[in-house]
Amino acid sequence: MQLHQSQAADDLLDMVRLNEGIKKVVIIAFHINLMALNAILLANRAGRTALGFGVISKELRVLAVDLTHLMHDLKADAYESVNLITVLLRQERRKILLESARQSLSQHQDALVAVIETQQNEQTSQRQRISQLRVKLLEKLDDARRICQFGIAISRSAKIEAAYGAGYSMQLSDVSSDFDQNIHAILPALDLLCQNLKDH
Amino acid sequence: MKQAQVIFQEGDLSWTMIARDPAKHGYVIDTNEYVITYGGESILTDPGGSEIFPAVFSAICTVIDPLSIKSLFASHQDPDIISSLGLWLDFNPSLRCYTSRLWTSFIPHFGGDDETLIGIPDEGMPISLGEHRLDAIPAHFLHSSGNMQLYDGTAKILFSGDVGAALLPDDANEVFVKDFDRHIDYARGFHQRWMGSTEAKLDWCQRVSSMNIDMLCPQHGAIYQGADVMRFINWFAELPVGLMTFRK
Repeated sequence: MQLHQSQAADDLLDMVRLNEGIKKVVIIAFHINLMALNAILLANRAGRTALGFGVISKELRVLAVDLTHLMHDLKADAYESVNLITVLLRQERRKILLESARQSLSQHQDALVAVIETQQNEQTSQRQRISQLRVKLLEKLDDARRICQFGIAISRSAKIEAAYGAGYSMQLSDVSSDFDQNIHAILPALDLLCQNLKDH
Repeated sequence: MKQAQVIFQEGDLSWTMIARDPAKHGYVIDTNEYVITYGGESILTDPGGSEIFPAVFSAICTVIDPLSIKSLFASHQDPDIISSLGLWLDFNPSLRCYTSRLWTSFIPHFGGDDETLIGIPDEGMPISLGEHRLDAIPAHFLHSSGNMQLYDGTAKILFSGDVGAALLPDDANEVFVKDFDRHIDYARGFHQRWMGSTEAKLDWCQRVSSMNIDMLCPQHGAIYQGADVMRFINWFAELPVGLMTFRK
């Protein structure tokens, strides 16, 4: 019993960490979005020589928006998880107290046996719901990783395109480096979140 | 485990006090619960906090079938009064809980819903226990702003909630007050701090002094019986309470 309770408490801690991780990713995605917007304007000023860079910047902007949406979805799922885990923690606490009451009864024991059995079944269902949601969270984190990997690939392309930027080459190169740094900052954060969820 | 002790029995009507758990943790305030039974139906007053549910439930089972409890009476909203509500509803979802109308949307934080909670109007109301009548008596601002007591005119018992409560030392486990002067020392600080309104206090003393009361049963401490009931009411009427007791 105590084991399950500490598991649910750990689950709750995981959701706290997930939310903190989501906040970090959303901030980075916001920076990428802003950078991409500036890069599009810069590419427009550079004209034909930066057409490719402009296309890549637009893709990065879409990526940042997609990532933000995904993070909002994850946040909603994490919120639902917190609700489920909180209910489970309450159920577990109540079951401990009901079980303690049953054990100290010398008569009318039957009065609590059925209640405890029902509680046990409800807890099992609740744990299943939490596990299912955890799988869903992991799938979304995997989606976010894929988006980031795509981002890393196109930020590399941005570096190449920057080289063709003629007079704007230096500025475009700086922007592409910033892209690269930001995209690379997201991936370890996501990996850590995935690892935390998989560990439990 | 708490001990169950019948304090009144006449025909089908009984009052049982659930109190004094020697295994209780020191950090949880000791509480008295009262089970009033008439003709196979029971009502439980201030069922207590969730942490003491096992002790209360087990003690109740030694004297009655817990399924005979049809309703709960919560004098007010505090956790030591009613935070076990969720557990009681796990046991019997059809239980109803009477409490001041002020708390019907607050107490569901402990469990239950709008069907569970029956709001008592400010002026009080009769509560049926089968064919037996109990009366919810207002005692607002003593200490809660929505505070109710339960009077049984047949048994001449007033369940007074926190009024009359005493914070007894561990070695004082008497059920009835034996030495009023000694006992009241344990009640003084509690009443001065928790019962902050002189107006509410005097109003209560005036109303209750005209009632026919053999036993005044608080939620903490020992029961006042016979002449000690009026002794307590007079003592309380005279007691300085609230902010004035803070002034040096």
